Amino acid sequence: MFLKDYIKDVFGAVKSLLIGMRRTGYYFTHHKEIITQQYPDNRDTLVLPERFRGEVVMPHDEKNEHRCTGCTACELACPNGTIKVITKFDITPEGKKKKAIDKLVYHLELCTMCNLCIEACPSDAIKMAQNFEHSVFDRSQLTKVLNKPGSKIMDGVE
Amino acid sequence: MSLSTIIFYLLATLTLVSGFLAVTTKHIFRAAIYLLFSLLFIAGIYFWMHYEFIAAVQIVVYVGGIVVLIIFSIFLTHQSGQNLPKQKLGRTIFSALAALCGFILILVQVYQHQFVGTIERSVEASISNIGSQMLGVSDNGYALPFEVVSMLLLAAMVGCIVIALRTPKEIKEGGL
Amino acid sequence: MWSLSDITNSIQNALNRAFNPTFATLTEMVIVGICVIGLFAVLGLILVIMERKVSAYMQVRLGPNRVGPKGMLQSLADTLKLLLKEGLTPDGADKFLFNLAPVIAMIAAMLLLAPIAFAKNFQIWDINIGVLFISAVSSISVISILMAGWASNNKYSLLGAMRSGAQIVSYELSAGLSVLSVVILVGSLKLSDIVQSQENGWWIFKGHIPMIISFVIFLVAVTAETNRAPFDLAEAESELTAGFHTEYSGMKFALFFLAEYVNVFIVCGVGATLFLGGWMPLHIGNWHGFNHVMDFIPSSIWFFGKTFFLIFVIMWFRWTFPRLRIDQLLNLEWKYLLPISMFNILLVTLMAIMGWHF
Repeated sequence: MFLKDYIKDVFGAVKSLLIGMRRTGYYFTHHKEIITQQYPDNRDTLVLPERFRGEVVMPHDEKNEHRCTGCTACELACPNGTIKVITKFDITPEGKKKKAIDKLVYHLELCTMCNLCIEACPSDAIKMAQNFEHSVFDRSQLTKVLNKPGSKIMDGVE
Repeated sequence: MSLSTIIFYLLATLTLVSGFLAVTTKHIFRAAIYLLFSLLFIAGIYFWMHYEFIAAVQIVVYVGGIVVLIIFSIFLTHQSGQNLPKQKLGRTIFSALAALCGFILILVQVYQHQFVGTIERSVEASISNIGSQMLGVSDNGYALPFEVVSMLLLAAMVGCIVIALRTPKEIKEGGL
Repeated sequence: MWSLSDITNSIQNALNRAFNPTFATLTEMVIVGICVIGLFAVLGLILVIMERKVSAYMQVRLGPNRVGPKGMLQSLADTLKLLLKEGLTPDGADKFLFNLAPVIAMIAAMLLLAPIAFAKNFQIWDINIGVLFISAVSSISVISILMAGWASNNKYSLLGAMRSGAQIVSYELSAGLSVLSVVILVGSLKLSDIVQSQENGWWIFKGHIPMIISFVIFLVAVTAETNRAPFDLAEAESELTAGFHTEYSGMKFALFFLAEYVNVFIVCGVGATLFLGGWMPLHIGNWHGFNHVMDFIPSSIWFFGKTFFLIFVIMWFRWTFPRLRIDQLLNLEWKYLLPISMFNILLVTLMAIMGWHF
């Protein structure tokens, strides 16, 4: 029947509108739910999510050793040429030549934080750090060398 | 000259000036706006005479209704900002004559009427008075014209619906 | 007891003693004009900061919190910015109408303040057709929007203006009908009479369900008439950039902005006067003690409290509901609000004739 449907329509509409208003009313009265981060003020206490991707870094342990074998998988995986791996050949104690990295050059200004290099790395040598305050006065400062000077590959990483 | 007289002459001048501008301006939209001002200043004269009800009705009907309608039809038909073409001399003279005749007709009416001077304060017509007058069937009531006007409105509404209706043939063709 | 009417009376007496009547009237007009402009400025500042804070809290944000304590001076800073900005007039615009439109919007909003009763015996002009005057003058603001849309010589402006014209003209009907239901019960268009008739209870309580229905319809219709979300098709940001004020900048834009907020204040004030008793305190039946306590709160606080409550409700609408499409907007008016309010007015008339209300 037409009239019954009409009245049902009106009541349904009013009810659904009231449900919406109850939600916003709840947020209006519950200030604890506010998720705003007042960034420069809370810099000391700022907690970023675990999976936040700020920049690529290479972790070193206390003996200044990293896990990078220089396989260039990250360079091949990068879609926009952010990573350049410059390799050299080390002489092992047994007198054999072994491939190792000289420099792992990382162009932060080109990076889109897509995470493909980290997924491509077979030895977990690089990872995403949470630092996001990247502004500098000169563009050249954004080109970084990830391995520390004098560092060498960790034992047991092939 | 009292303040009240000054206000009257101010309103009257503004009404006449904006009415004159409405018929002489080259932009059709500006003409509509000048017409609006003319009507608004007439409402101002009604307020000055303490006929608040008529003044408010003047604003509701003319400003809220008719001028908005005129503006809408300009929006839908005219190119924005285009100047109106210059009218032929014959048409200008004819319109001026028509306006003059109307003016003379009103002037004759005004001069034939005997105005009774009064020094009493004007009374504010209450809403119940206006209502009973408008719908009264006694000697001073306006029930008959009221009903006739509503018949006219009804006829206009039916006409609108008839114009807006699609004939069965058009519906079959699926055209607008 | 302290009251605003004493102040106005003493000012009037002092002026009449000092000058002749004509000059005293002129001085009073100037004083009233200054008060109205001052009220405008204060209302604009308060309503803008209120809107921003309410929207922030409803969207789980903080809102402005830098300028002044808790960001309360933010709108003052914004006003300063707008004052210093250049008022640009586009090349192809009709310059006269372009500059006139914001002024007309402002004048219409100012005229609307005249019949509103802010407190007991505190009213600029207690005109005997108050409600009709308000609905008449509010139709002038449509003209200013149409004027702005046309004169900008911009397709977004023109579309916005036409949308808002169609919207205001159609929603005026149901707003008028819901106002009429109060007028039927009171039997007068004078706002002071309407307030006086609610001495023993507000109409929303005295008038049973039909008055609640017409109150709800009034709120929906005035939200549409003031072009606020969910009915903000006239300035739908995602479709028309800013609708009729796309080309406006600086102080001219500020005038439109201010007029919009003052219109919100006025329609909420009218709603509070018609349905919630204006400056009348809340009285419940025969609880004399309770009623006596309520009488101690000044009448201006009652009026502004109710008005700001309604403004809050309208803001609540805005930040909850998504924008309607134009066909949905017209369907809502012509298929739902108008038939319901017409049927409702029959019920109210029946109630008034039979004397069923309290």
